[in-house]
Amino acid sequence: MKADVTVIGGGPGGLVSALFAKRNGAKRVLILEREDELGGILKQCIHNGFGLELFKKDLTGPEYAERLIDDINKEGVDYMLDTMAIHLSKDRTITAVNSKHGVFNIDSKSIVLAMGCRERARGNLVIPGTRPAGIYTAGVAQRFINIDGYLPGKEVVILGSGDIGLIMARRLTLEGAKVKGVYEIMNHPGGLKRNIVQCLNDFDIPLYLSHTVMEIKGKDRVTGVIVAKVDGKMQPIKGTEEFVKCDTLLLSVGLIPENELSKEANIEISSNTKGPVMTETMETSVLGIFSSGNVSVVFDLVDYVAETGVIAGKNAAEFAKEKWENKKFINILPGKNVGILFPQMYSYRDDLVIFFRSKKWIEKTVDIEIQPLNMKMRRFYARPNEMIRIKILKDKLLSVKDDITVSIKEVKE
Amino acid sequence: MIKHFTCVICPMGCEIDAEEEKGKIISLKGNKCARGKEFVVQELEEPLRVLTTTVRIEGAEFNMLPVRTDKPIPKRLIPVIMEDIAKIEINAPVKMYKVIVKNIAGTKVNIIATRSM
Repeated sequence: MKADVTVIGGGPGGLVSALFAKRNGAKRVLILEREDELGGILKQCIHNGFGLELFKKDLTGPEYAERLIDDINKEGVDYMLDTMAIHLSKDRTITAVNSKHGVFNIDSKSIVLAMGCRERARGNLVIPGTRPAGIYTAGVAQRFINIDGYLPGKEVVILGSGDIGLIMARRLTLEGAKVKGVYEIMNHPGGLKRNIVQCLNDFDIPLYLSHTVMEIKGKDRVTGVIVAKVDGKMQPIKGTEEFVKCDTLLLSVGLIPENELSKEANIEISSNTKGPVMTETMETSVLGIFSSGNVSVVFDLVDYVAETGVIAGKNAAEFAKEKWENKKFINILPGKNVGILFPQMYSYRDDLVIFFRSKKWIEKTVDIEIQPLNMKMRRFYARPNEMIRIKILKDKLLSVKDDITVSIKEVKE
Repeated sequence: MIKHFTCVICPMGCEIDAEEEKGKIISLKGNKCARGKEFVVQELEEPLRVLTTTVRIEGAEFNMLPVRTDKPIPKRLIPVIMEDIAKIEINAPVKMYKVIVKNIAGTKVNIIATRSM
């Protein structure tokens, strides 16, 4: 099988990539999706708050997905459902499998990775205790309720204050479960502030910062958890342990980009983002393989995912038309107070959109500084749970020879 | 009386202290823009939210159809509306934005499907 641009994954990142590959002149654009319909995680995110940046509308996840899928059908993008990509090689051959074709190869002029991310589970946390039923990741519980129509439990403790956990606290409450509390090991919430207000405060659900779950109790089913306060080094404080009765524990403790296929193609992975090392064109370290959305770095907003899809799709189409080899690169480096930063390189082909997170919770005026461009932007605060996005036009970057550094500096008042 | 609000209009999330008497605002502290004031006025008068949930669907690939209110509704009515919605069962096929319940709980707000199924 042959394609100009093949997109691995039919979630928001993949759909937008495919759409923009097609709109930029790629002839055969093919999406490989392992589930039985397109849309990815958006299908179970039935809450609103999506699309404020891209569509200028307050949409729910399913609406956002359906708009993209309608466009995919209108523009004649091909897709294969129930199809799993099982191998990716450096020369842009994908091995995939489905029940119609068996195991088959696709030779593609360019490829966009859009496999998204997955939830960290109990195994990643090493919580001691028994192994009863009733422990779910927040996303699995979300699928049970919103798609399958099952309530996963009646008395729920949520560990971690990521956005999915907060959204699920509200959703479980609406469906009649009692959410005993959200426990967060850090001293600040992991999710967006608007979700703390609309999902917890609106329903009087308590949020316990600097707390964690020490142990899970129960033989066949969870009967409760032991929670404790933690100190500045996130170590439990003796004497603060408390038993909380519950039948269900939800984990909302972060997401990890899903890069097994990327590693098979020897794509360089960043220890900072856990996604491929990428340029502003969304190209990875392997020629002609691009990446978009949460497989690259975990974003806060689906609109940011879509934005990387626009760039990846456009450049994948251009590469399919006319192969290129980047000759010049500079690095983009995290400076003072900057943690996660994306992309990592600039190749002088496109405008540069930088996404980054503050390492520290800074609740006062800061300057974002970009050197050697002498760019300075003032903001009222910098919080690790809110990604910052800055776009720099190509014209401004053409004369830059040295590595770019992004820093967040506290303004002395 | 001083009431505390966290504004949710934009990601900034201003922490606003409002001095209030009989539902009227006397002074506001902490809002960085005028929209924060509008938010507090609305919260004092009648907090409004868009409700998103699901209804049972027969004859579709999945058991649940996602739905939402087509306008924000008073927050205090959410439990009543959830009970009304729980009684509904509909049949596929459904088009996105089809009205599932008209004038839910007498609010003049409709419950609409948020996907086709």
